Amino acid sequence: MAEQPEAVLPLPPSGAADGEGPTDVSPGTEEPAGDTKKKIDILLKAVGDTPIMKTKKWAVERTRTIQGLIDFIKKFLKLVASEQLFIYVNQSFAPSPDQEVGTLYECFGSDGKLVLHYCKSQAWG
Amino acid sequence: MEEDEFLGEKTFQHYCAEFIKHSQQIGDGWEWRTSKDCSDGYMCKIHFQIKNGTVVSYPGTSTHVQTCLPMEEALELPLDDSEVTEATAATEVIKYEYHVLYSCSYQVPVLYFRASFLDGRPFSLKDIWEGVHECYKTRLQQGPWDTITQQEHPILGQPFFVLHPCKTNEFMTPVLKNSRKINRNVNYITSWLSIVGPVVGLNLPLSYARAASQNE
Repeated sequence: MAEQPEAVLPLPPSGAADGEGPTDVSPGTEEPAGDTKKKIDILLKAVGDTPIMKTKKWAVERTRTIQGLIDFIKKFLKLVASEQLFIYVNQSFAPSPDQEVGTLYECFGSDGKLVLHYCKSQAWG
Repeated sequence: MEEDEFLGEKTFQHYCAEFIKHSQQIGDGWEWRTSKDCSDGYMCKIHFQIKNGTVVSYPGTSTHVQTCLPMEEALELPLDDSEVTEATAATEVIKYEYHVLYSCSYQVPVLYFRASFLDGRPFSLKDIWEGVHECYKTRLQQGPWDTITQQEHPILGQPFFVLHPCKTNEFMTPVLKNSRKINRNVNYITSWLSIVGPVVGLNLPLSYARAASQNE
């Protein structure tokens, strides 16, 4: 598997309204990820038969919530509204939607990154 | 065809015990209750929420459970009933009760819950829906009757709301399979509750995530 260049997680569209402050929407790596501790590195891994994202490594601002990340992945994978997406730390625990990734990085990050597993499901009807 | 990951009742009880152990360590307020006449049991937690968003957790009141240290914030916050009745809607206190029971028919845990104001007025299904986290609302609105229903608590016989268990295996199986692949022992109850809890306002502290992989 070729090494993926790190991508910066873009701002959600204004309709998403998750209450976070303005962030860079830099396409490349103008701002080194993890530097000045504003962004953290996240490695996304698919679980089960969930589609694998072409870009797995992302630089994400610390204040991004789990729900914000879920919305982003769902859009990226073009999931339909009836499909639910779950994100796990430690491959087993789903943090609350309002949990900030920065906090998760502090608790579960290692080797300079936070590994998150994601899984899609038709759960709840 | 992949096998579903079913949970036996003894295993359910074991995972609950492990879960409660950690809950006691961090003062999260979960306790085990058994029914008077049978060997059934369930996990239970009560927490009070002030409508402006602050959450206060209190340990259960059963005496047969060793009382755990309440969180410091809980000690400082008086819950004088007389103060509450004079409060405006913005500062009303709501009592949430969560029960984790085992379903023999589905062979999975089930989350029963109810909420009420301190004066005893119970939450209606409409009130419950209003309390569901934004991110789940779209999904639930597509079929609320399939997801949250009102049922009689199998042990207490009182009306509770229930998060329907029919899809539990569907979202638990990939997680469990994945962990098995890497030989990590997972507390089924911890994983399951971390997924379903937030839908109805129950958020597990992150320390459960670490405890779950250390206990076994």
